[in-house]
Amino acid sequence: MSSQTETPKLSPLQRIIANLTGTSFLTGVWGRRLTALAPLWTLIAMGIFFSLSSPSFLRPINLNNILSQVSTLAIFGTGMTFVLLTGEIDLSIAAVAGLAGMIAAYLYANLDYSEPVLLVIALGTATLMGFASGIASTRFRIPTFMVTLAMSLIAAGLTTYISKGRVISQLPETAKFLGSGRIGGPDGIRVLIVVAAVSLLVGHLILRYTRFGRYVYMTGASKSAARLAGVNTDMTITAVLTICGFTAGLAGIVSMGRLGSAQPDAVPSFLIDTIGAVVLGGTALNGGRGSMVQTLIGLLIYGTLRNGLDNIPTIDVYLKEFITGVVLIAALIVNVVFSGKAPADRSV
Amino acid sequence: MNDSPILSLQHVSKRFGGLQALDDVSFDLQPGEIHALVGENGAGKSTLMRILAGVYTEYDGEFILEGRPIRLQSPKDALNRGIGMIHQELSVITELSVAENLYLGRQPLTRWGTVDWKKMFSASEVELARLGFPDIDVRRSLGSYTLGMQQVVEVLRTIISGARILIMDEPTSALSPGEVERLIKLIDVIRQDQRSVIYISHFLEEVMRVADRVTVLRNGGKVATLDKSSTNVNQLIELILGHELTTTAHNAPMTQKNGQIRLNVSHLTSDVFNDISFDIHQGEIVGIYGAVGAGHFDLARAIFGMYRTHSGTITVDGHLFPHNYSARYAIKHGLAYATESRRKSLFMEEAIYRNITLPHLGKISGMIPRPARELQTALPFIKKVNVQPPDPMNLVGKLSGGNQQKVAIARWLTFPPKVFVMSEPTRGMDVGAKSEVLSILREFGDQGYGVLVVSTEPETILSVSNQVIVMSHGQIVAHMENKNLNKDVLMRNL
Repeated sequence: MSSQTETPKLSPLQRIIANLTGTSFLTGVWGRRLTALAPLWTLIAMGIFFSLSSPSFLRPINLNNILSQVSTLAIFGTGMTFVLLTGEIDLSIAAVAGLAGMIAAYLYANLDYSEPVLLVIALGTATLMGFASGIASTRFRIPTFMVTLAMSLIAAGLTTYISKGRVISQLPETAKFLGSGRIGGPDGIRVLIVVAAVSLLVGHLILRYTRFGRYVYMTGASKSAARLAGVNTDMTITAVLTICGFTAGLAGIVSMGRLGSAQPDAVPSFLIDTIGAVVLGGTALNGGRGSMVQTLIGLLIYGTLRNGLDNIPTIDVYLKEFITGVVLIAALIVNVVFSGKAPADRSV
Repeated sequence: MNDSPILSLQHVSKRFGGLQALDDVSFDLQPGEIHALVGENGAGKSTLMRILAGVYTEYDGEFILEGRPIRLQSPKDALNRGIGMIHQELSVITELSVAENLYLGRQPLTRWGTVDWKKMFSASEVELARLGFPDIDVRRSLGSYTLGMQQVVEVLRTIISGARILIMDEPTSALSPGEVERLIKLIDVIRQDQRSVIYISHFLEEVMRVADRVTVLRNGGKVATLDKSSTNVNQLIELILGHELTTTAHNAPMTQKNGQIRLNVSHLTSDVFNDISFDIHQGEIVGIYGAVGAGHFDLARAIFGMYRTHSGTITVDGHLFPHNYSARYAIKHGLAYATESRRKSLFMEEAIYRNITLPHLGKISGMIPRPARELQTALPFIKKVNVQPPDPMNLVGKLSGGNQQKVAIARWLTFPPKVFVMSEPTRGMDVGAKSEVLSILREFGDQGYGVLVVSTEPETILSVSNQVIVMSHGQIVAHMENKNLNKDVLMRNL
């Protein structure tokens, strides 16, 4: 054993690359990177297919449509990516989103609160619900699956109670701006898309470049190993659920602004669509693998598929749901095969 | 004992690749006989046991059951022919009642095809009374009974399902002394019932109490089969180790008792260990030796804050730890820990350097980790412990066991701890890696850390420790200085 310790020499370039990517050029890590990009090939293949089968698919208007269609999901997906990376799940996002929207609309229409205050209350409630799920799950060792399922009933119940079953169509200006406003005139970019992009970007920066982000991955990769290295896994799980509560609240307000009214019942498809899109991007349901970039790709696959089917006039409308399901399964299989994960799982 | 044996193996050999696991071993078992198998780890006990239980079906030699040569096809086949195996890890279902466990998979049915509960309960009661356990409530869930009782139920189930030969693998290692007594009583009942037991154990005192005959294995060969009346524990130890081994005493490191106390463990008690007290001084290496299930691994975990204790205190460098602290707290206050399971303590799909820096991310670069600085921090220590190949980008999962262990150690060198706790530091390593890891441990001692080594391998304990503690059934049974110690002393104290 050599007892003298040499300082390793990294060139300035290597150092910059290492800081940006968390890897060095000199290794086989890039190979690993490429397999994680399998969903990208799926996205490209799908894009080519739909642009060949429908002339309208590639038009800027339509591409813009795809983006705004997945924008709400992108906000949901930001929080969900955090949660799935730790190996947990949040089933309450759709209900929490509905509640946040309803609170904002109710405070605005019936109690005349000022906008910043009601937004803080609405988003704060959503955030608190995520935090409460986290505490309940980590303190009492209840699986997040059950805790967040119960939390979704609580949120949905509160929404019904507040709304008394009525739709509120008088919405705060901020919600309308976020959901259906445009920047730069009537042909400008939708605010919704900007919010989604900022949400994904901030999520990406946190996951990739902070210590907390590292803890999220390590907690998901192996809770026991993370704990042995002194990572507070309970706190990490509580934090990701809190983040997920916040993004669900934000998504709820944005989608309310987009739809033009606060509904007394949540949109259940938000939950399935969000988890579907995140997992399509290659983020593992049991934690440790995935990234915000992959979530973006998953969202685009999902949006492309839904939109592309709409653009092929020969497809029976009543078959669309069925075809979507089949293509999703096919896409998931492609992901698994390309990333070589299937044979690697040798668990008995 | 000249009746015809119920079971006999003749000239059995078994090879795994280049390793001769069993070499021309003959063995016989009489009806109503308790026959013990003893030997060091790797002597061939497990291999012989697996042949007897139908797990290994490929071997040379003859297997004769009740006078007829047979070849078992599977463990199930073995059970059908009356050979039942009691594993160290029980296969009972604690959520079910005692009766359900006794008749698992063979529940009596009514003519409607539903379970005949009345019949099952009454049959269970009759059987338990006959075998000397009339006090067990067959309706109660098995989980409400202690581990020792659960084991009794597993043994009884094996008997009820028709086994006339029971193979018991280390049945007492996880039991408390009272439970051991109960098991020994049960074995007496089994003997009177004219059933036979093959009893595998590290605990030679127990073997001398329970067994009628003892077969000693060493390096895959049979050394001797002895009547209990004609042997004693000392002779067994000599036969197990072989004379040439007992004379080569390990070089005992010098004790350096003058330093301050690094770690003080005082009356520490939990579910699985009881009233544990010891000190580790500056620069001292304390080794805890015990068989699997002795409770020493959980003790190590408890010291690191990962196993709940009921009472007792832990003090590091004069700082008294609160009751049931977290691993995070332990790390912050100068403890480091490498577990017996590298799979559970390292991230196999992450780069080496990330495994090393994870516990110290805050100290290295605050809230925003900087991989370049992490690399610079980790690299000297990767080199120091000599991880091969020394590329910090390699995935830990691609390294050999020995190199993974070095990563697990290097992780704690970046910010030196006050006390280093290691469980099974050399498990599953080849000779070269073993001696490298051991010399790293000695160097820790020289640098003034306190080191606690916990192991089931006497060689490891003897070659690095200043002080040796022997644990058995959750208790400290011996605490001695490592002067003129050798394996027989450790085994005698077990």
